[in-house]
Amino acid sequence: MKESELRADHLIFGIFAGTVISYMLSTSAYIGNESAFMLTLYNYLFVALTFPLNGRLTRKLCMLLIGNAIGLFWNYLFSSFAVTLIGYFGDSINTLYMVLNPFINLIWIVSFWSLTLTTLANSKSTSAG
Amino acid sequence: MIAYLIRHYIFTLIVLKNAQKQKTTALLENSQYQPTVSILIPARNEERVIGRLLQRMTELTYPKEKLQIIVIDDASTDETREIAEQYSKTHSCIEIIHRSEKEGGHGKASALNAGSKHANSEIIFCFDADYHPQGDILEKLTEVFANPKVGVVQGRITVLNEPQNIVTRLVALERIGGYRIDQQAREDLGLIPQFGGTVGGIRRSLLERLGGWDESILAEDTELTFRVYLAGFRVGYIYDAECYEEAVESWRAYWKQRYRWAKGHMQCAFKHSLRVLKSKNLRLREKIDGLLLLNVYFMPVLVLCSWIIGIPLFFLKSSQLLSILWASIPISLYSFVGNFAPFFEVGIGAYLDGRNRAQWLIPLLIFTFLYNILICTKALADLTISKILRRNTNHWTKTVHSGNGNSYIIN
Repeated sequence: MKESELRADHLIFGIFAGTVISYMLSTSAYIGNESAFMLTLYNYLFVALTFPLNGRLTRKLCMLLIGNAIGLFWNYLFSSFAVTLIGYFGDSINTLYMVLNPFINLIWIVSFWSLTLTTLANSKSTSAG
Repeated sequence: MIAYLIRHYIFTLIVLKNAQKQKTTALLENSQYQPTVSILIPARNEERVIGRLLQRMTELTYPKEKLQIIVIDDASTDETREIAEQYSKTHSCIEIIHRSEKEGGHGKASALNAGSKHANSEIIFCFDADYHPQGDILEKLTEVFANPKVGVVQGRITVLNEPQNIVTRLVALERIGGYRIDQQAREDLGLIPQFGGTVGGIRRSLLERLGGWDESILAEDTELTFRVYLAGFRVGYIYDAECYEEAVESWRAYWKQRYRWAKGHMQCAFKHSLRVLKSKNLRLREKIDGLLLLNVYFMPVLVLCSWIIGIPLFFLKSSQLLSILWASIPISLYSFVGNFAPFFEVGIGAYLDGRNRAQWLIPLLIFTFLYNILICTKALADLTISKILRRNTNHWTKTVHSGNGNSYIIN
């Protein structure tokens, strides 16, 4: 029997895992609203775009968790940077940060997703070979 | 913007779901239906690439007695005419039409209309001069015409000179998203696969009924697609009928080409949006897809507007509006990074094609998206001004082909 490229079972599990992680992040007192929003967006995008593909579920879950760790670090770094700049240049920097925030997050989200895709594609070709 | 995001996600899932089926179908299919074919090759100053294409045309496996190849020398000032004549002397199926300086240089649609008057076959195909088709491409493409509802067929375009530089690599990624996922999903879902103006064909009877290509629109291919659908026919897409193109090699050439596409697409949106809505020949899903397809080039302009409006809103402290806007920015970014085929569509396309290394460049598509914001805004501004002033500013800027793609062909 030919294996389908679409794994609906993984997708359902991924949506559940993504929801749990996103809920934990959004209710955490240590994480800002912008960061929680971006990480929630990441979780659902990542799950929707990676979990339906062929590959081991554990590998996908690991990548989801690593992505969250990178996202937290990234957002912490940039929000600290923004707070410092606001202290020097005033509230107008906040506007710039708000507008640029999705851009800044897009860089790591798309890069990390490409990396995960390559990892899954490599494991697929290794198992096929 | 959310509609586009959902649409492209569905497209991606559909192609993933059908990936195995497509491979199987492609292997099982066997060409039976072979109508007579005329191939139009519009060429204006294409001396660096025309010889390569004509050589390839002589190598096509389609029965030569059913083949008519028409080179339209569109008032070239270089050696295009001489090279084509050399091939014409040695191959009886190759004909040349010369257009004088007065007749030529008015764009591709004009050249194609001139060429189609000489075509005498059942199906008329178009190939750009910089293309390099598969040897059996016509067998694959003509087969769908056995279905009388199919009026037009489109094959897949792949970049030939991809390794040349970063621009060609990014264009290759865009093509993967557009042709491996977007077009395929539209075909699978019975929506509106787009005729790309090249690597495709149309029934001659239908073309004559529609009155040929519309010379007043810069995106004559999209315009023809919609007229075909409005007339009750459909476009078939064959993903394994591949043809290789020489992609633009510089950001300047990219601007010129995409500006023409954006302006032409917007002209089509103005011309056909209402007709699509009112049409009795289109199903609801085709109408929705048609409208999304027609209006896609307006989206980068909307993104720019949301950024511009966002800054005053911030100072007005309108927190509710600002929140909506703040949410709209990432949605628009995730929807369009990848130049109308979002990054995940491009990535999954590359994944299905086994292009693992190409995936690493996906984050760089943000630059083409930003570039396209400027291109589409300029196109819309120019179009609006020309509409207000009632001036025809349709100037066909030809894409210059360097012939660098020749070195990537492995015989």
